[in-house]
Amino acid sequence: MKEQIAAIQTEALARISAAEDERMLEDARVAVLGKKGSLTLAAAGIKDVPKEEKAAVGQLLNAARTEITAALESKQLALREIADRAALAGIDPTLPGRPILTGALHPLTQIRDEAIRILRRMGFALADGPEIEDEFHCFDALNTPADHPARNEKDTFYFDSGKLLRTHTSSVQIRTMESATPPVRIIAPGSAYRRDEIDATHLSVFNQLEGLYVAEDVSLPDLKGTLEYFLRELFGTSTEVRFRPHFFPFTEPSFEIDVKLQVKGQAPRWIEVAGCGMVDPAVFDSINKGRKDDAFNPDKVTGFAFGMGLDRLAMIRWGIKDIRLLIENDVRFLKQFA
Amino acid sequence: MNVSLNWLGTHLDVAGKSIKEIDDLLTFAGVEVEGIETKGIASEKIVVAQIMEAVQHPNADKLKVTQVDAGEGSLRQIVCGAKNYKVGDKVPCALPGAALPGGFTIGEAKMRGVESKGMLCAASEIGLPEGEDGLLILPEDAVIGRPVKEMFDSDVLLELEVTPNRPDLLSHRGMARELAALLKTPLIPLETPEEKLASAEGKIRVEATDTCPFYSAIRIRGVEVKDSPAWLKQRLESIGLKPINNIVDVTNFVLHELGQPLHAFDAAKVSGAIVVRPAKDGEIFHALDDEKYELSGEDLLISDESGAALALGGVMGGLESGVSASTTEILLEAAYFTPQGIRRTSRKTALMSDSSYRFERGVDPAGVLKASALAVKLILETAGGEADAAVLAVGEIPVLTQPVVLDAKKLDQLMGGSIALAEAEEILTRLGLTKLADGQWSVPSFRADLQRHIDLVEEIARVHGLDNVPSRFAGAFVPASAVDAAYDADMVLRRRLAALGVFECQTIKLISDAQMQDALPLRPLQDGDVIRVKLPLSEDHVVMRPSIIPGLVASAVRNVRQQAKALRFFEMGRVFRNAGGGKAKDQESENLALLVSGNAQSAAWSQKERAADLYDLKGLISALLRNQAIQFFPRDRDGFVLSCDIKAGDQNIGVFGRIAPTRARELDLPAETHVAELDLAKLRKMISGVQHVEDLPQFPASTRDAAMELAATTANAEIEKVIAKHAEPLLISAECFDVFTDPSGEKLAADRKSVAYRFTYRDSGRTLKSDEVDAAHQKMLAALTKGLGVSFR
Repeated sequence: MKEQIAAIQTEALARISAAEDERMLEDARVAVLGKKGSLTLAAAGIKDVPKEEKAAVGQLLNAARTEITAALESKQLALREIADRAALAGIDPTLPGRPILTGALHPLTQIRDEAIRILRRMGFALADGPEIEDEFHCFDALNTPADHPARNEKDTFYFDSGKLLRTHTSSVQIRTMESATPPVRIIAPGSAYRRDEIDATHLSVFNQLEGLYVAEDVSLPDLKGTLEYFLRELFGTSTEVRFRPHFFPFTEPSFEIDVKLQVKGQAPRWIEVAGCGMVDPAVFDSINKGRKDDAFNPDKVTGFAFGMGLDRLAMIRWGIKDIRLLIENDVRFLKQFA
Repeated sequence: MNVSLNWLGTHLDVAGKSIKEIDDLLTFAGVEVEGIETKGIASEKIVVAQIMEAVQHPNADKLKVTQVDAGEGSLRQIVCGAKNYKVGDKVPCALPGAALPGGFTIGEAKMRGVESKGMLCAASEIGLPEGEDGLLILPEDAVIGRPVKEMFDSDVLLELEVTPNRPDLLSHRGMARELAALLKTPLIPLETPEEKLASAEGKIRVEATDTCPFYSAIRIRGVEVKDSPAWLKQRLESIGLKPINNIVDVTNFVLHELGQPLHAFDAAKVSGAIVVRPAKDGEIFHALDDEKYELSGEDLLISDESGAALALGGVMGGLESGVSASTTEILLEAAYFTPQGIRRTSRKTALMSDSSYRFERGVDPAGVLKASALAVKLILETAGGEADAAVLAVGEIPVLTQPVVLDAKKLDQLMGGSIALAEAEEILTRLGLTKLADGQWSVPSFRADLQRHIDLVEEIARVHGLDNVPSRFAGAFVPASAVDAAYDADMVLRRRLAALGVFECQTIKLISDAQMQDALPLRPLQDGDVIRVKLPLSEDHVVMRPSIIPGLVASAVRNVRQQAKALRFFEMGRVFRNAGGGKAKDQESENLALLVSGNAQSAAWSQKERAADLYDLKGLISALLRNQAIQFFPRDRDGFVLSCDIKAGDQNIGVFGRIAPTRARELDLPAETHVAELDLAKLRKMISGVQHVEDLPQFPASTRDAAMELAATTANAEIEKVIAKHAEPLLISAECFDVFTDPSGEKLAADRKSVAYRFTYRDSGRTLKSDEVDAAHQKMLAALTKGLGVSFR
């Protein structure tokens, strides 16, 4: 019996050691430790062993089982390690990843959203108005003289109906004040149209962002603080901002705003980014007349308005040399904004 | 407007001012400086030097080593390559530190091993007009050591943009007056002789007093028309004008000196009285630019008693009536024409002159006769002759200004208390206003733009400068608007599409007639629904887009030409149309358009190339709207094949189509180019996300697959319809996972197809037993057999 056990053990260990994969190892386990395995059968023979030897044989059986089980376990670990390593063969992490289609927001959307997010943080709400406008909202109510050059058919698109394509988003100021009461604090992004031939710096359809704040005691310090803050948020906190006196029919005093920017490879220079001014009392008069009330009494409320070209801001921000890139939608261009 | 700094210097002492100071001063006065051009020699360090010796350079055949006397007590060694001089000549010598045009500065250097301490200069090298080859040889009497700039005229030309409210700045005198006020320095007084006025009875007749409230003319006899003297030519040339003859030059000079346009007629060409009259409708005017203009009763003509048109009043002289070499007697016109009249005529005839530019902005009415007097004086000086003792005048010189109140309280509010009243008043005084009683201010005649309190505030703010105003960071709280909500929804949609691999486009909202065939508006267009601009810039931009798709198609075409493989585009924005055949006008709404074409998957080591098809676009819409069931319902639309209405749930949200094959071929687009246009207003309501979270199922689901055979022409939607109608309560989903056809007819008749569905059953309250699932499934199959006659494989 003892010899038999020793033989089983030797053979089992040899078979385990020779196993080339987990399946052969399992076969070896079943052949030795399975229901009809050699050691299992041998163990069943213990009942025929003389009583005084039973303990010693039992010990031998246990020792053999323990050793075989340990060999099985360590062989399994060794085989798995080999298999795990083999599973990595042929994987080349330096091959490129699977292509996944990516898109992008248009640069105009990006710059507009950036501007809107800043201004909303500053408490402005969005407003809009029609692009096919009438002369009243585009010019008359904005204190623009009847024979102002902008009203010319050579500069502005008209329709047979007498309506026109708004030449600026300032018409939204009027649309808003017609139905709101102070305080009015709005921004209006949108398209505007001018009868300009399309070239590297002009589009006949372009994008503006208008702003208007009307309340009691709105003053030049408000206009200055608001626009300085906005432009510094947009261009960097240390950006220099200057206000040059200018002229617009619907604001007085009026200013153009420059920021000092450094275009790569050039000396820093002043670049015009926006127009602004205090709402001309004549605009309030016209609103009140239309509303038939006194909601915008120029003796009680004052306000400022501003406007900027978003296409221009995008060109400045990203060094875009030709404005037509913004409407041609060349994927090679759009991809850069992904 | 061009301004010469030297000319400005005749009105104001600007000698101590740098160009930069003047630039800043004008900029912050509200005058945009668009260009600065320096003429002549700028640097003081270019001096007269005499060449005392010139020997061959030891190491260079073409160079000489010179010793020059630049008046420094010792000679200076300079290596020079020029050949046109001889020893003893005087030439310009740029000393170390001299800045030359082109932005480089002279230093000391070794040239081929020989020291060279400066540079001998050619004319073009120091900013003078190109001369002969080689060094600029100076006259023998040039003083050694003196700056060469003293021997040549130098000037600075300022290109200025004056805003339309400031016509008073459109002259050198006006600009000097403004600078004097800003600099707090006096203007050099301008002496003009007093003119005597005489009645023009029978000599001038004004029949258009509304557009010409004041007209004057003075006769000068015995003039000699010839070239202008050098000073006058130089003045005109300094601002880029070409001298013509002494008479015309004087009128041009006065215009740019004082801002008042004048006109000189050849008196021999005027028959009888001067008649200032409205043009006749259809009257043709032959202008001195040799063009003919058709006029109407709104235009103002200066004519004579014969009716012949001498000039288009305030705009341009006539071809025949002008001063020529044979002229001996002139009539000098000085008038006030109203801005409105001139603007109308100038715009209609597209004729713009220095004269019309000033009249249409508004000249100083009080300056009309001063300008005439100055011109007479200068004509007599340059052309001789004798002027009449008095000016013939008709009408009244208009008074356009009136006292304006400055409201101290309002000023303080608007300026945020940043300026004291006394300081504000001092600014107004400097600008030529005079304080009257009761806060009233009298306004000078040249500032007709100052009519209201706010106009005075503007002047104060402008001169005070926004730099001196504090910044306030505050504002009222206001509620968000519906536009805010729409914007936020649009940004969600945009970001989703970008993340789904779609590029956002921006196209021009005016499209061509040819592009209209690519339009796929939500509702088909009737005649009269298309909105066209009246005077398009070109045939490419004629129609307000009723659909965004034409723009996306054009973008796709452009990208195909650039070899782009994957075309996945979207654009959001306004579309424009009338409705009901034009009954409802100018409707603006907002759409989202999509275009998918070319590769859906590019070729790579890891995957095969795959062309995008209809289902890519449909899948894109499903991914965009997520929890919405997207369904397509075929409906014919012009210009497209496979066109469908798109439904999300039970709402119609847009239209879909594949560009018709002939059009795709014409545009060189991939054959399968699919587009969709969606109603953005509806989409915004579909992305609000989950309203109330559903509990997760507690019990397992069971699936059963079924492959049904049916006619190849039966749409999948028919199967979906039957499943929906059957409304099995245990069914939670039914997904089509295979469609099989066999055109060869071997495995399946060619006119049949096999569609495989996976049905999933679950009860929310308990685990279903297998036979319960089977029973529900059999009922489902029976319903499909009954509804569509399908057989199961």
